[in-house]
Amino acid sequence: MWTFLRRRLVTSAITVVGVVVVVFFLARMTGSPASLYLPESATPEQIDEFNRRNGLDRPLLAQFWDFLSGAVRLDFGESIWKQRPALDVAMNAVPPTIALAGIALALALVIALVLGSVAALYRFRTVDRIISVVTLTISSIPDFWFALVGILLFAVQMGVLPTSGYATPSAWVLPTATVMLAPIGVLTQVVRGAMIDALGASYIQNARARGFSMARLVVRHALRNASLPIISVTGDRAAGMVNGSIIVGSVFAFPGFGVVIMGAVLNRDFAVIQASVFVVGIGVILVNLAADLLYALIDPRVRIGSGKAA
Amino acid sequence: MSFVSRRRLAVGAVALAGVVALSTACGEDPSSATDRDLTIVLATPPVSLDPCDTQDAANAQILRSNVLESLTRIDPESGDVEPLLAESWEGSDDNRTWTFTLKQGVEFHDGEPFDADAVSTSIDRVINSDIGCGNGTEDFFPYDLTIDVVDDTTVKVTSAEPDGIFPLRMTYVDLASPATPVDEKTRQPVGTGPYTLSEVVDGESITIEPFVDYWGDAPDASSVKYVYRTEATVRASMIKTGEADLAVPISAADATDDDRTREYSDNRVFFLRTQTNKAPFDDARVREAVHYAIDRGTITEALMDHSGESYDQIVAPTVNAYIDGYEGPSFDPDHAKQLLDAAEEDGTDVSATVELVTRPDLFPGSDEVMQAITQNLQDVGFTIKLRSIDTDPWLQLLRKPYPAEQTPNIIAISHDNISGDASFTYPKYVSSNGANSTLQNDEIDALIAKAEMETGESRAATYQEASRLLYEEEFTLVPVALQTKLLMLGTGIEYEPNGLTGVELRIGDITFTD
Repeated sequence: MWTFLRRRLVTSAITVVGVVVVVFFLARMTGSPASLYLPESATPEQIDEFNRRNGLDRPLLAQFWDFLSGAVRLDFGESIWKQRPALDVAMNAVPPTIALAGIALALALVIALVLGSVAALYRFRTVDRIISVVTLTISSIPDFWFALVGILLFAVQMGVLPTSGYATPSAWVLPTATVMLAPIGVLTQVVRGAMIDALGASYIQNARARGFSMARLVVRHALRNASLPIISVTGDRAAGMVNGSIIVGSVFAFPGFGVVIMGAVLNRDFAVIQASVFVVGIGVILVNLAADLLYALIDPRVRIGSGKAA
Repeated sequence: MSFVSRRRLAVGAVALAGVVALSTACGEDPSSATDRDLTIVLATPPVSLDPCDTQDAANAQILRSNVLESLTRIDPESGDVEPLLAESWEGSDDNRTWTFTLKQGVEFHDGEPFDADAVSTSIDRVINSDIGCGNGTEDFFPYDLTIDVVDDTTVKVTSAEPDGIFPLRMTYVDLASPATPVDEKTRQPVGTGPYTLSEVVDGESITIEPFVDYWGDAPDASSVKYVYRTEATVRASMIKTGEADLAVPISAADATDDDRTREYSDNRVFFLRTQTNKAPFDDARVREAVHYAIDRGTITEALMDHSGESYDQIVAPTVNAYIDGYEGPSFDPDHAKQLLDAAEEDGTDVSATVELVTRPDLFPGSDEVMQAITQNLQDVGFTIKLRSIDTDPWLQLLRKPYPAEQTPNIIAISHDNISGDASFTYPKYVSSNGANSTLQNDEIDALIAKAEMETGESRAATYQEASRLLYEEEFTLVPVALQTKLLMLGTGIEYEPNGLTGVELRIGDITFTD
């Protein structure tokens, strides 16, 4: 298993480096951001001065070399947009993004586990169909619409939640709910499918025949076996959430990654774009690693043999 | 922890809080008329907080007349230039030398004296430094200037060319403490205004606190916190829930019918720019056809409710190049088709693909407006490709040079001129060598040059002559709408917006009614 994990780490690391390099060149293909930071009638001298001050007047490969030699020391340069080290700007977005994604995913998972198990237990019956329809509908709700309607309903009409911001716990309710929308449907269906498989195993049938309670069987046995595909999908979702939600960020003024990267792109802040892509890449690696480890913990077959790929 | 001791802890905490609150209340600075705070919600935080970058509205809305002040200011009602930090001024007969007498008893927030040296340093920093000051560009200061300190309270500025509107130009120079670094931009602007910048939480909020030693009348509001929400609906919602006291701008969809929603003009005009050096627009009839093709009335009524009215000049009525009573081409698609047919007969390919270029953030609802315009143009025979691009590439298409291999284009522009003088619009958009101009007309150039030397009525008349030539002979710029904006006030807040609100949100003009 450790060889497998090591190999995974190496491939992931290579991918991140590859992405950062590609982004480096792609971003610079848009030209110098001088026109965004200097007034409209800036003179050519002022533009040159701006480019010189920000290292943008050097040949592309020289800039790339500068970037690489900085990146290995985790120095991604200075943000033109925020006038702070770019890595700082990117790292600032990490705690709120992780907190929001973590809470939302955890809640979505708990709900999915409950609903998916119930759906599996009563499969094809009315309860199952209702659960499927409801969760798939929830997943289909556009998050932008939900966010604004949530504000109008709960903040303006009912006055029970604040409109935006993230300073108080109640301010986290709507953003969390918005981020939870998409995963709920998928996770419920995955749990349902995995539980149906797990509950169909012969040892479960045996135990049932011998009088063990269904609840105990579900929780103590079936869930454990169903957990592998659930971990896979959840890990996949989590990796996606590391990017942060632009919608939640801009509607609720929630300072996550989505807003930082968007802002950096619109303001052509190459340093922050690169630093953010790097941080997000590392985040995705870590999430995948955690999923793999969890997989190994739960499934002894992975630990002992060369195991199944995740 | 037992229940009893937990309760004692809570009581102790409340008591402590009470003592702190009382002591703060008793030690209150009398630097504002009340001790009420304000929360103002805006759309985007400023990129720069430097005093010389207040031509960026996001920066100006916070700093101008709150933290920073200038020698002169524009009266929003009359458009006249009024004294502010300059008590009075005098121009020489040839309008080349201007002498300003400074107000006394003014102090910078950091204690530096407000005197002629400080003013001279500040003006010099804006106009002559290489740090890329937005307020010091050629648009604002086209002529070389020499600044002399006559004595402590007198500053003399000599312009290389006669400049009838120099006092107006001084409204654009926000005076900063002489301690402000000259070789780089600062994020801690120090001015003479009634407020000091006290806290910046990057991307989230900016707070200003009253300045105890302000020379003038203290505004009603104590500290003011500016917060940012990109969605207009969220801004309006914050007013409705009481989380904010003023939201600017808001969209028509969130407007209420009561007096909490106020509409104001920021002297901004939405117009299109065609070209003169590229087919099919090198034929003036094709340009003229664009004017007749667009149904301004229906578009503004249906799609620009509360944000624009049909308009046929490129400057607002407060600008001196505005022609009173002028009526431009009306909506007449048949006439447009006739013009195009005539041009086609003479060999112009009127159905060549033309790009209609816009930005998604040009103004709220601009996407639909541009789609309607595309439809209008196609109805008369143009082949239009609509392109919505972000600011950087849009700027590059807007500004010279215009390479020959570029596809012919019509560019959507939203331009404001709050100064009342056409010299902030015409040289850039109408002069042959203007950075954003596609015109090549010697007569218009001569008129613009002549107007620069004049003042008052004759200046206005000359500009209006140039306007007439632009509208009746050249047709390059196609006005569509005079834009207005909306803002929302919270309960108990009173503020009357004016033409400058978009670039100067004067806290001193905000009062509490309860």
